[in-house]
Parts: sequence; C-alpha cells; structure tokens
Amino acid sequence: MLKTLKGILKTGDATVRYPFAPIEQAPDVRGKPEHDAPNCIACAACAVACPPNAIQMKVDVHAGTVTWTINYGRCIFCGRCEEVCPVDAIRLGSEFELAVMSKADLQDSCTYRLQRCSDCGEYFASRKEVEYVAAVLDRIGGNGASGDSIDRCLLCKQKNDALACKDRIRERRQA
Amino acid sequence: MSKRGGNKDKRCGSTHVEVIRRQFHGALVSEEWQSEEQVTMTIRADSVPDVVQFLYYRRGGWLSVVVGNDERPINGNFALYYVLSMEEVDRCICVIRSEISPEAGAFPSVAARVPACVWGEREVRDMFGLTPIGLPDERRLVLPDDWPEGLYPLRKDSMDYRHRPELAADLENYEFLNRAEPGTTTVIPMGPLHITSDEPGHFRLFVEGEHIVDADYRMFYVHRGMEKVAETRMTYDSVPFLADRICGICGCAHSVAYAESVENSQGIAVPERAQVIRSILLEVERLHSHLLNLGLVCHFCGFDTGFMHFFRVREKAMDLAEMLTGARKTYGLNLIGGVRRDILADQSMKTIAMLAELRRETEQLVEALLSTANFESRTAGIGILDPAVARDYSPVGPTVRGSGFARDTRFDHPFDGYKRTDKVARVHDGCDVKSRTLVRVEEFFDSLDMIQSWLENTPSGPILNESWEYKPHRFAVGFTEAPRGEDLHWSMTGDNQKCYRWRAKASTYSNWPVLRSMLRGNTIADAAVIVGSIDPCYSCTDRVTVVDIGKKSQVVITKQELEDYCRDRSRSPLSGRG
Repeated sequence: MLKTLKGILKTGDATVRYPFAPIEQAPDVRGKPEHDAPNCIACAACAVACPPNAIQMKVDVHAGTVTWTINYGRCIFCGRCEEVCPVDAIRLGSEFELAVMSKADLQDSCTYRLQRCSDCGEYFASRKEVEYVAAVLDRIGGNGASGDSIDRCLLCKQKNDALACKDRIRERRQA
Repeated sequence: MSKRGGNKDKRCGSTHVEVIRRQFHGALVSEEWQSEEQVTMTIRADSVPDVVQFLYYRRGGWLSVVVGNDERPINGNFALYYVLSMEEVDRCICVIRSEISPEAGAFPSVAARVPACVWGEREVRDMFGLTPIGLPDERRLVLPDDWPEGLYPLRKDSMDYRHRPELAADLENYEFLNRAEPGTTTVIPMGPLHITSDEPGHFRLFVEGEHIVDADYRMFYVHRGMEKVAETRMTYDSVPFLADRICGICGCAHSVAYAESVENSQGIAVPERAQVIRSILLEVERLHSHLLNLGLVCHFCGFDTGFMHFFRVREKAMDLAEMLTGARKTYGLNLIGGVRRDILADQSMKTIAMLAELRRETEQLVEALLSTANFESRTAGIGILDPAVARDYSPVGPTVRGSGFARDTRFDHPFDGYKRTDKVARVHDGCDVKSRTLVRVEEFFDSLDMIQSWLENTPSGPILNESWEYKPHRFAVGFTEAPRGEDLHWSMTGDNQKCYRWRAKASTYSNWPVLRSMLRGNTIADAAVIVGSIDPCYSCTDRVTVVDIGKKSQVVITKQELEDYCRDRSRSPLSGRG
C-alpha cells in the first residue's frame, strides 16, 4: 500500500496537454496520405494496390478525363500507395486528425485528361502517363524510343504489329 | 497428388502417416506434405471419426480448427479439413482431409468422439449446408435466427458478398442449454455486451440462489463475413491487411498467420531478418495485451489504482509499437514473403531502453497486485478449468497453460524467431483464474527477454522475398501464438491471384467452448472475473437481465451494479428485487 502511494507520487502526471498542445509522435508515423497532384501521372498503380479500395479511378469517356479519388474514411494508412507509386506522387504524412462534420469532406479528388489513340481515336490512357513513358523511353534511348507507337492504344499496337509481321512474311516470300 | 522434395522418411509427420496406413486398412487415400512440418492426409469420409479420434487421444493431437471448403469447381466435391496439432511424438501439423460428394451432402460427425470438433462442425453446417450425422449439438452457431434456410454463404454458387437476404423470422428462437432440472434455476442473461471488452455476446447463467448451476452463451453477433470478402473481392496479397483487422489487439498475429499459410503453400522462403522482425512485433503485441489483461484483473479485484497504473505502463508498449511500425497498432506490416519496414539501429537501441523501463515498472505493479489482499480471494480456486475438460476441448493460450498443459505454438512448432530462443512454455496447474494470471505475468517478462535477445542478434539481409512464382489451388496452414493463444489460418490460393478459401481461427474461438464448464459451480459475482480470465477478444456486459422463472419477472441490472458486486461481493443486485 505504502509502495503504491510512493509510486503514485513518483509518477506525477501521466496525462498530456493534448488536444490543447501538440502531441508527441514517433518519426515515420503513418498518417494521412498526401497526394501531389501536379506530379501524379494518373497511372492507377495506387488504386490497384489499395487493399480497402480507398483510392479509386473513374474514367469519363465523354469528357475524356480520368478522376483519381481518395476516401479518407476508408483509408487504413497502410502506405501501399506510397510503395507502388512510380513518381513519388503520394506519401503518408503525419496528420491524423481527420474528423470532419460532413462525410463528403472525407473525399479528395483530382481529374486528369485522357490521351486519344492516334489510329482509332479511342481514349486509352492518361495523357500524363503517356508523356511520362515517352520521357522514360527517351532517356533510355535506343530503338523505338518514343517512336510512332507511343500514342497508340493496345489494340492498335497489336494490329500494327500483326500487319508489320504479315508484310515481313510477304517480303520474305517474294525475296 | 504432388509431393515436395526431401527425404520422405525424415519429414515430420511420417510416423503418423505410417500408423494410420497400418491401423486403418484402406482408409488412407493419399498424403501430401505442404511444408516440412505439415502433412495433409486424405481419408475416406466414413473413417474420419475413427482416424481423428485416434490421432487426438492416442497420438497426442489437439484440434485447432475444422475447415470446410467448396471444391466443386476444382474436383466436384466439398472437402473438410480437420487441422490437428500433434504435440507429443513426432510434432507436426496433421491435417485430415475428406471429400464429400454434393449428392450425399452429409458426413459422419467427429464431435461425438472428439468434443473439440463441435463448433467447427456446427459452423460447416451453417456455412456449407453439409449435415454432420450424429452431431450432438444441432443449433446454429454462426448464422442468426432470422437467416433464411437453405442459403449457405460460403458455397461458391450461393450469393454475392454484398447480398443481404430477407429476414426469415422475427423471433429469436435460439435454445440455451441448461442441464439442471427445469424450473429449479433462475436465468440470468448477460449481454448483449460483455462487462470488460464492450463486445457483443449473449450469456445465460442458470443460477440457484447465488450459485451458477449451468451456463450457455451465444456469439457471432458481429460476424463480419471477412472470409467471404477475402474470397470474392480481394487478391491474395491484400488479405494480410484485412487479417490485421480481425482483432484490435492481436492484428499482427493474424496477418503473420495468414502470410505464413500462403508462404507455406507456395514454398516461399522468408528472409531470416524478416522472420525475426515478425517475432519482435508479435511479442510487442503480447506486451501490451498482457498488460491490458493484468490491468483488468486489478479492476476485478477492486484495485482500481493498479488498473490505472497498468494502463499507464501499457502506454509505453503502445509507444514502442508506434516507433517500430509507424502506428499505435502493429498493423499493415506484413506482405507475402516478408515485412515492409526494417528496424533501424537507433530504433533498436531505443527499444532496448524502453524494455528496461517496462520491466522495472511492471515488476513493481505486479508485486503490488500480488500483495493485494483481494487478489488471492478473488482469483484462487475460481473458474476451475478441469484438465480433463481442457483435454477434450483443445483450448489454447494462458487458458490451457493455467491448467497444467504446456501448449504453446511458439515452442511446440517453433516458427520465425522462436527457432532462436531457449524459452519454454509457462505452465501453472492451479486450473483457476490465479494460475492464468500468473502465466500471463511470467510470459510478459519472457517476452521482454526474447525481444531484447532478438534485437541484439538480428540477422542481417533483406526483409522481403519477391522472387517466387504464384501457383493456384495450393493450400497450407499458418499459425502464430497470439497473446490469447494459437491463431491458425488455413488458406487456399485460387485463379487470378485470388484467395480461393481463407479460414481464420482466432484464439478465443477455441476457448469459448470450455467456458461453460468454467462457470459451473461458481457464484454470480465470479462470472465476470471468469469470463475476463480467458481474456476474450471482447468483454463488457452493458446490462444483465435477471429472469426469475418462479415469479415470471425480469430485472435489469446495470453494468455498474454488476461490476460493484464483482468487486465488493456485498449488496447482491438480486436481493430484494425481482
């Protein structure tokens, strides 16, 4: 009993002044994901990796846009998005006070333009993603870098390849 | 069936396979090793009760879980897996598999021979609509009373996971079991929330005066359908993040168990450094979980100062988790093949300093708790778990270790960092609440030692193995020792990188069935202490309704009244009322 009382006196205040003073956090704590909209290329890698589907991509073919959305109410702060992002456009910050008065405020979004296929005219990828791939290919250099097939959709690329193959076979037969 | 490489005779479990082959002619159809320590034997369905009974009682087996699986898209049949942990000779995980044709839709029940199978078989009946012939308890287990007949959620062709069926009944028609003569006892329902964990469960205590004659209970009010979600919506590698959320305390134990089940089935070698990091996180979980339970024991003994101080010290364990994982909870750290966050040198040093602090403060608190006069009288001889009952029902964790059985997955089937420790399971044989509490106290200090020795000798190298190939339709078991006992996950991979079937068995699932026997013969004042002593993954009865059969009257007792009575044992809430 006496020991317990001594212990209490020695311990002093166990409580902290939070929320009236900032709370001490460990470094590298996993808080609210911060999206870097200008750097994002809307490739959807984070949406694929996100276990609770907090990040989603919505394509609007009429407007020619793709919208990246995050719902902080669904987020589990695992940081898979940060891990898979090729351009470091999303990072977990240390903010954790995410309560809002209206549910809609838990959403955040950003809309990006889509790229049309130069052959068939269908939208096939986000424009920034195509630009990013072209830049990467240019940096690597070599054959076919940012050549004429970079702005074609997958189907047209396949068709093109098949036609090229057919031509080559014909040439060989003629030779 | 395919067999992995390695010398067949030397693999764990081969003696069990040989004995089954010799003793039960023609029963063994095939055997297959999932890893060095896991063997699955396919047995003819009519021999399963004999074989499981033999392995359980004659070869030192304990039942972990019964898994049902709808394998009609793969081989045209349903399959049942009885997962046994062999803990005497030739230690290994032995899985008894049997196939059930959809036309028959029934199988001979094992529960009549091995009572530990009761919950598993009831669940298979609810979820797959297979009939266990001879099952001693035919009530529903998982499905609510108003769930329609004939809709079996885990059949592959039954329903979408978002489907919410029309309610089939308005009334609650669950029958609670009472072995006393009808009319001789008073019924005390405890629920819908339990007294210390604020989670739903419905208890009925059948009392004669103050004495509990019998008790029955019902769980699964918050069944979240996680297994169905994992099978339909998620990919195999996002399930660890869902597995984390099974428990608010031992989340890491569940995601490690799931990840290791996939790693075992795919033959993935987890880097040693990742294994040790996983074990450190598992023990950090044990630190804060055991401190929580010790705090609650103080609360039940009327030593609320101790309760506050245990929770203050527990906060240091939470800070430890925050530093090592980036969140107060040890969530989101596991991937298939390893972990996502390394432990850096300065974190390791800070952790060791915090361990010393935790040790010093907890030693003082434990001393204070044990010298409290109330502690002895409130816990010694209370809530006896008879070793014979324990043997029949396969409980786990401190619950069974308080009854003299040295069952601890960490040391029975060493995995991860536990291969590198010389600690052994902590056992007490008082069979009461006190023994279970003392087991937790000792384990807490063992955890401190283990974390320290792993931090001082962490192997170097990578923390994630990504060079492996995904193979569908492979299954295996993964397990960990959570603070409350063994967590065991069985998973089967599917096409398109989906989880085909995931069965997660939390530790408390194994402990509920023995509670009935632990409550018998005690007084109402002890009920909360006893339920709290299995440290259920939930615990706060908001209110208790007392039904007096004779007077046909009901009284609602508040949580405060029951708690006060639990502490002081004077002013019974039943006296002068009802």
